[in-house]
Amino acid sequence: MRRYIVTFFLIIISFIMQTTVFRFFDFGGITPNFLIILTASYGFMRGDKSGILVGFFCGLLIDVFFGTYIGFFALIYMYIGFVIGQFHRIFFPQNIILPMVFIVSCDFVLGFVCYVLMFMFRTRFNIGYYMMHVIVPEIIYTTIVSIFYYPIILRINTKLEEIEQRSAKKFV
Amino acid sequence: MSPIVKREGEKFTLPSKYLLFILTLVCVVMIIVTFSTNAFSSSLNSFFGTVIIPIQKGVTSVGTWMVDVAGNIQSIADLQAENESLKQQVEDLTAQNTNLEQDKYELTELQKLYELDSQYDNYEKIGARIIAKDAGNWYHSFVIDKGSDDGLTVDMNIIAGSGLVGRIIDVGPDWAKVQSIIADNSSVSATILSASENLIVTGDLELYDQGVIGFSKLVDDVDKVSVGDKVVTSDISDKYLPGILIGYISTIDEDSNNLTKSGTITPAVDFDHLSEVLVILQTKQQVEDSSN
Repeated sequence: MRRYIVTFFLIIISFIMQTTVFRFFDFGGITPNFLIILTASYGFMRGDKSGILVGFFCGLLIDVFFGTYIGFFALIYMYIGFVIGQFHRIFFPQNIILPMVFIVSCDFVLGFVCYVLMFMFRTRFNIGYYMMHVIVPEIIYTTIVSIFYYPIILRINTKLEEIEQRSAKKFV
Repeated sequence: MSPIVKREGEKFTLPSKYLLFILTLVCVVMIIVTFSTNAFSSSLNSFFGTVIIPIQKGVTSVGTWMVDVAGNIQSIADLQAENESLKQQVEDLTAQNTNLEQDKYELTELQKLYELDSQYDNYEKIGARIIAKDAGNWYHSFVIDKGSDDGLTVDMNIIAGSGLVGRIIDVGPDWAKVQSIIADNSSVSATILSASENLIVTGDLELYDQGVIGFSKLVDDVDKVSVGDKVVTSDISDKYLPGILIGYISTIDEDSNNLTKSGTITPAVDFDHLSEVLVILQTKQQVEDSSN
């Protein structure tokens, strides 16, 4: 129960960071993608099921506020969370490089899928432009932010796991 | 025992494959439903709206305050220099103003003659603050802090300063989502004021970085249209009220079909530094109804 509440607040905080707080710190209109950091971190730290659920709700939030069709971003984020969840086996809390690599690749995949579904299908084929002006800047900014944001998520997760283990022992 | 629900001790769990499958179905159903109707929007919108909008409003006011404070300190020196040049400008403009005053008198007389009234000033407007922008970096839509409680409805036009910003595409109790005219998925039917030729203004992500928006389908056989001409919303648009300034033509190119022209427009609104907007509390539909 505690975990659900914490996760709920993490999603809300990430969404607000992304849409409102970082609007004041954007570079050339580009804001970092907090929700993909959260989805990737949860998938990697907790396994595919957490990745699916967190991705689903993150995407749903975007859909409700900014999407044309509800469920579109939920679907993309959910699958990203699921795929990252497959790498849960090689997760070690001490390793910081690997999750960074995953977050970067997630953001790239998201950007690419968004380009294909929303722009290429409307006959905008200049992929080089979109790559240089939207996808790559977003990845760079997201990476910089995730250097600070991922350890926070990790620490919250470790703390929660400790508490859960303690209460589990109490019952035994 | 069914393969779907497997028991691990006392807890019952659903394998992630099935969870993924179920949620995928849910998403697909929601996409299809929202594609054809807007059944979900009211309930989901109001749920998320009550949780998130208050926080966004608070954060925005704190953020604006902080930016203001930082800006104040930084800009004192700039302001002094600006003040000098502005004083100069005031003198020039006063002289110009007297001329224009005469022109305006003439204009109102002529308008009375033709029984035209300047509709644009008569629309009722309400101010609103932008509290969130698009989560991705692809489109330029944003959320404002007024909603259906303040009488806003879908398709109301948004202006800032003197130019068109966009229109409302979704509305909640105390928030509304605005699609701006520079968004890649937006098109506006417009008119060249001097030549009364219609054209389509389309937002374009590629052009956006140059600070311009694109236009196309301009029929101009006799080269009446030139760079610097005013572009306003047209009478035939079904969403936008007529006569709202969009911007000024900055380039014109002949299309390869030799029939139409396309090019770019410099928008009248500075979209990079947009924080407050005005909502026109009238949709095109209402205006037409009342005039009938």
